[in-house]
Amino acid sequence: MKKLALSLFVIGSLFTSCSSDDDGGNPNQVVAPATYEFLRNGQTTISFTGQTQRIEMAEEIISALKNTSFTEAQIDGMFNNTGDNFSDAELNAATTKKVRSKTAASFDFFGGSANISNLADFDGWIAEQVNDVYPEWGNAASAGNAGFINEGVAQDGSTRYVNAKGLELNQAFNKSLIGAMMADQMLNNYISEGLLSGFTEANDNGTLVEGKNYTDMEHDWDEAYGYLFGTASSVSNPLLDIGEGLGGSDSFLNKYLDRVNDDPDFNGIAQDIYDALKLGRAAIVEKNYDVRNEQAEIIREKVSQVIGVRGVYYLQSAKNAFLNGDNGSAFHDLSEGYGFIYSLQFTRQPNSNSAYFTKAEVDAFLADLLEGNGFWDIASDTTILDTISTAIANRFGNFTVAQAAP
Amino acid sequence: MIKRIIFGLILCVAIAACSSSDDGNNGNNGDGFNRTELLTNLADNIIIPAFQDLGVKLSAMDVARANFVNSQTQTNLDALSAAWLEAYSVWQHVELFNIGEAEDVNTTSDDRGFVRFFNIYPVSETEIDGYAASGTYDLTSVLVDQGFPAFDYLIHGIATGDATALDKFTTHTNASGYMTYMTDVMSRMLSLNNQILNDWQNTYKDQFISATENGLNGSFNKIANDFIFAYEKGFRAQKVGTPAGVFSAGQTFPDRVEAFYKGDVSKTLALESLTALENFFVGRAYNGSTTGSSLRTYLQFLDSDDIVTAIQSQFTAVRTSINGLGNNFSNEIENNNTQVLTTYEVMQAMVPLIKVDMRQALDFAIDFQDSDGD
Repeated sequence: MKKLALSLFVIGSLFTSCSSDDDGGNPNQVVAPATYEFLRNGQTTISFTGQTQRIEMAEEIISALKNTSFTEAQIDGMFNNTGDNFSDAELNAATTKKVRSKTAASFDFFGGSANISNLADFDGWIAEQVNDVYPEWGNAASAGNAGFINEGVAQDGSTRYVNAKGLELNQAFNKSLIGAMMADQMLNNYISEGLLSGFTEANDNGTLVEGKNYTDMEHDWDEAYGYLFGTASSVSNPLLDIGEGLGGSDSFLNKYLDRVNDDPDFNGIAQDIYDALKLGRAAIVEKNYDVRNEQAEIIREKVSQVIGVRGVYYLQSAKNAFLNGDNGSAFHDLSEGYGFIYSLQFTRQPNSNSAYFTKAEVDAFLADLLEGNGFWDIASDTTILDTISTAIANRFGNFTVAQAAP
Repeated sequence: MIKRIIFGLILCVAIAACSSSDDGNNGNNGDGFNRTELLTNLADNIIIPAFQDLGVKLSAMDVARANFVNSQTQTNLDALSAAWLEAYSVWQHVELFNIGEAEDVNTTSDDRGFVRFFNIYPVSETEIDGYAASGTYDLTSVLVDQGFPAFDYLIHGIATGDATALDKFTTHTNASGYMTYMTDVMSRMLSLNNQILNDWQNTYKDQFISATENGLNGSFNKIANDFIFAYEKGFRAQKVGTPAGVFSAGQTFPDRVEAFYKGDVSKTLALESLTALENFFVGRAYNGSTTGSSLRTYLQFLDSDDIVTAIQSQFTAVRTSINGLGNNFSNEIENNNTQVLTTYEVMQAMVPLIKVDMRQALDFAIDFQDSDGD
């Protein structure tokens, strides 16, 4: 009997040692540093100037979209970085970086080159803003007519400028870019196993990019980090900008990570994403690609959640404003929501090659919002806002409409 | 006693299960698929026959060229144009195989290999006119004004001050210079193709087939990347995307289509290229219709039939869309670019299927990256 027990013990341990070989690596083998700080020979290996510059370019573009002194050609030039239209000279001919070529252009979703039907949307918003809304800047908007509208029940709040359907095109551009550039590049490009596959040998051998202090794979991961934290006041500890009353460091993904993180229902999400980025980067240094890929899936789930939550938030916020008879605020919320819904097509369901919503599904939501006289019609029947909110929350499955709502 | 035997058996099974995970390299990637068979099918039934046929068609083109040199008539020029088109069509079937000698003949830092000397367009008219005038050029250097596009300009284009393409070789001041340049371009095409074909037949074939390992230097990894690159760059971008303004914020370049000077064959060549890519995917023999070991059978072997179906229906959609365009892409871009852009989108929709889904299923590394990084 003792022999049998011993035998079973031996067999058991044999199977254990066998299966532990292919269990996807042990995450405990990689230890993340306290902050996002990585050195080689005493020098930092982190670099994401291209991401910082693109976020800065995008900031100037959304400002220009609210400034009637800009021409369409100038704003198009800013989007494609031609013609030296940025006020910051560093962003003009001094750099080869462009926002346009990184819009809807991820490796996983688009094979690495910008998708022309998405570009047509962004180009269209610029054109319509300059050609149809700017000339009506001084006129009050009404159903079917572009113009201004004030927030507030007494219409004494901020002035917003909308197209004939009530949509603020600068908001559509701003919030859609969060998905099309920041999230798409981050989730579907720079942490993509497919994109990084070509750099495995170089990373294994410690081969540095010519003239640089990093391997290609390290750099790619930093670029993903840069699309979220590229304007942070501290590279190594960007969470210093995230928190109640802090507001994040830019007008794009970072800002809305801050907003979602401020909601008690989602508090800690910023830390989770930061930790996953940090551990994934450490895993690259340790050449442990299973741990790296596990972190990529966490990042995909959480960053996608920021977009989903924020989409529902604005739809619900708009519904409340409509109930108060505050069309100005409702239109503003809906315009932001419009962009977050647009961004859903660039989210990434973990452990899949798919977004949470296809482009066709997103286009259908957007068409519903703009049907007839658009937001003016929704003012008298807000059913669609709950319909879309529920569809989003159900698809994500990791939050409810109530949790996302203001 | 019986218990001991059972214990022994269990132990054996356990050990066997353990060791089977590293079964060495028997022409496969540890996934059980026989890569040797795939590489053999590609080399024997597709690559070498395609280069052989290109050799035949280039020789026919050279005969037509010689006839034209002997007698500069419009009839002879038309015959040369017809031979050029036949060879250009076969070229579409080899452009993908930028591997081995085809890759090595290009010592510049670009990633185009032999394509650089056969099919970079547009050519520079100014440069070619200059070479005809001066007689000073070195086709073995980095020069791109050679191959099929150079011929296109020479036999179909009209030089400044001329009325017809034929004038270049008859009444033009530099007529003999144009003739010499044409002959030199022809010789270069013939010799490059011979060099590549000989290498395949004499040494490279065995090397290609035996390099079954994983990693960037394995033949499967290289050829799978070549397929994706050829689809993305040579087919999607060069034939349609670039001239239609996809990469230039909408600014179109009708003069950057393939065979711009001939004009009415850009669709023919695009369809031929599509056929070549599809044949490669399904492992269809160059001479005949038999299909063999290929990317398709590899995917099927790994139970990725859904990816095969998606790729094959996309090939069909691309063909349908290109068929909806006129013969002359330059005209289409000038007059009907919306439809050209729609075709581009259908072409583009294939890229994630082969570059992401297929790559992931077959687990190979992408060895080229978008240059617009950072």
